[in-house]
Amino acid sequence: MRDPERAGAEAGLAPGEILLDHASRAFDVRGDQGRTLKDVVLRREGQGPEPVQALDEVSLHVAPGETVGMVGRNGAGKTSTLRVLSGIVPLDSGRALCGGRVISLLELGAGFGRDFTGRENIELNGALHGLLKHEVAERADAIVAFSELGDFIDSPVKTYSSGMMVRLGFSIAAHLDADTLLIDEVLAVGDVGFRRKCLRRISERIASGATLVFVSHDTAAIERVCERVVVLDGGRVTFDGPTAEGLLFYHRVMGTEQGDGESVRPPATRTLAVPEVSLLDADGHARGVFRTGDPVRLAFHVVASEPVAEPRLGLEVRDEEGRVIFRTETGLELERGEARLALDIARLGLLGGDYDLVVTARDAARDQPGADRVMSFSVASEPGAEGVVDLRGTWSARTAARVAS
Amino acid sequence: MLRYRYLFEQMVRRELRQKYRGSALGVLWYVINPLVLMAAYGLMFGVLLKAVSIDDYLLFLLVGLTVWVFFAGSLLTAAGSLLDQGSLVGKMRFPRETVPAATVTVQLVTFAVLLVFVAPIAVAVRGTLDPALLLLVPIVACLYVFVLGLAMVVAILHAYFRDVAPILNAALLPWFFLTPILFRLEDLPGLREHTWAETLLQWVNPVTPFVEAMRAVLYSGRAPELGVLLYVPVAAAVAFLLGRAIFRRMEGELAVVL
Repeated sequence: MRDPERAGAEAGLAPGEILLDHASRAFDVRGDQGRTLKDVVLRREGQGPEPVQALDEVSLHVAPGETVGMVGRNGAGKTSTLRVLSGIVPLDSGRALCGGRVISLLELGAGFGRDFTGRENIELNGALHGLLKHEVAERADAIVAFSELGDFIDSPVKTYSSGMMVRLGFSIAAHLDADTLLIDEVLAVGDVGFRRKCLRRISERIASGATLVFVSHDTAAIERVCERVVVLDGGRVTFDGPTAEGLLFYHRVMGTEQGDGESVRPPATRTLAVPEVSLLDADGHARGVFRTGDPVRLAFHVVASEPVAEPRLGLEVRDEEGRVIFRTETGLELERGEARLALDIARLGLLGGDYDLVVTARDAARDQPGADRVMSFSVASEPGAEGVVDLRGTWSARTAARVAS
Repeated sequence: MLRYRYLFEQMVRRELRQKYRGSALGVLWYVINPLVLMAAYGLMFGVLLKAVSIDDYLLFLLVGLTVWVFFAGSLLTAAGSLLDQGSLVGKMRFPRETVPAATVTVQLVTFAVLLVFVAPIAVAVRGTLDPALLLLVPIVACLYVFVLGLAMVVAILHAYFRDVAPILNAALLPWFFLTPILFRLEDLPGLREHTWAETLLQWVNPVTPFVEAMRAVLYSGRAPELGVLLYVPVAAAVAFLLGRAIFRRMEGELAVVL
């Protein structure tokens, strides 16, 4: 039962399905140093530090096509989970099964030949991921184009900057058609524009049915691509549910860690939820891409599970780097525990780029954690103006005072 | 196994590139090494000590040395191979056998280049153009498979116990002198009194039959004796199957111990 992929095939899992069943794995802290025969001969019981329990009875089922973000502090077992699922590290007990073809991205550039050119490394890396010669050849051009490395693709990788390595490494991984993608933090490096492009590419893979397990400290990225979040702590699952609630739970746990004394409230006690948000155009059709100056209607559906004293709905627009560029809040009237409301924007004053709309419903009287919902939308770029906000007005010219000579 | 043939090719290519990087003479260095050894041993034992009287002693030496250099070089580089690729093994899932196998195959390339030099010289000097020469290919293939099996064992053991490479290093020198490379077994006067030693050197040392088989074909221009001819493929199969079994049994924790 060592290889999850093979075990998954034997157990008849659907492509993209993942099953962890009471999975446990401990690491001997001394084991990292590498043993010598002397250590083995002289080893006594109970010597040295206790083994670290990286995974402690973890049970998890991921259905094909699901997108799961994994968060938790360092050493919580996130990377260990990925290493177990990708078949690099075996379990002590329990089962790990994966259906279909699994591709793991634990480190970009692992296995690059430094004397190889970018193009040669595409072949090597493709082969390491289990592709055949013709499979790599079919993808090579798309990989080169995606990486935007231009002529550098034929230079040895040792001349690359780390950003270029990321470009190459991710471009390769993004073009391996996996049923399951396991990605660990590798997108933390590289420039913002390329990171965006990578996330978009991942979204496309998911749209075509792939499963994603994504480990990151970048909660904005997790918000964008994952519909489900698993929070790990000390090798155990402490939360498993929808992304908005999961990230809230995670932030609370981390906040408590920093000592502000706030108690961790499980998300189940929340009373307000925003099950539906849509961005509509002038004709009332839901859209994801707009033009600067378009009329936009934001429609919300808010539901309260019990009476709420002071319900509020907050809106936030963030730019590509996660900066809040706009925030507003409004009071609500909840009839029969639910409300439908809309915000009409006559003219969208944003310039070309990708944006996130973060929706928060909360009870102002109880300062309760609210339900978050995140929508991404894009504004098509337009010639003649750069930046975030459209402040274009009308130019007029008057005769300027002459500078005395 | 077939699925990973392409991976294997790529790994060998990478190893080759790394090995010959930045050296103008490239593969030639690995050809020069056994030639230097041949000259030194030839001078010592053939000319100065006059310990042996073998026709074309230099060529006799060279054929044996070629086999030994491949054997010892493969095991030594294979021992550290998994450790060298530790970060790769920890980050990607691929058949781990390809790591030691690639290092052995790179050694095979230099071995083959060496044979391309040695074989025509042997044929020219010794007049050994005989149908038996055709046996060269299966003998080399068996030697490769045999070394592959041992390399897998050495590589995986060294990943777990870091003393394996130093032990191997210490063992190879006496092993060299217990292998009939500088001499012929039948020329050793002491063996007549100690037949157990003859069995030991001839059959327990698995390198002996390979050296003798190569020498029969290249130096003597005849097929190896039947015993040797049977021993070589059997030794290859046993070493390979056993090596692979040990490797597979132990490879699970590789990502953790490296």
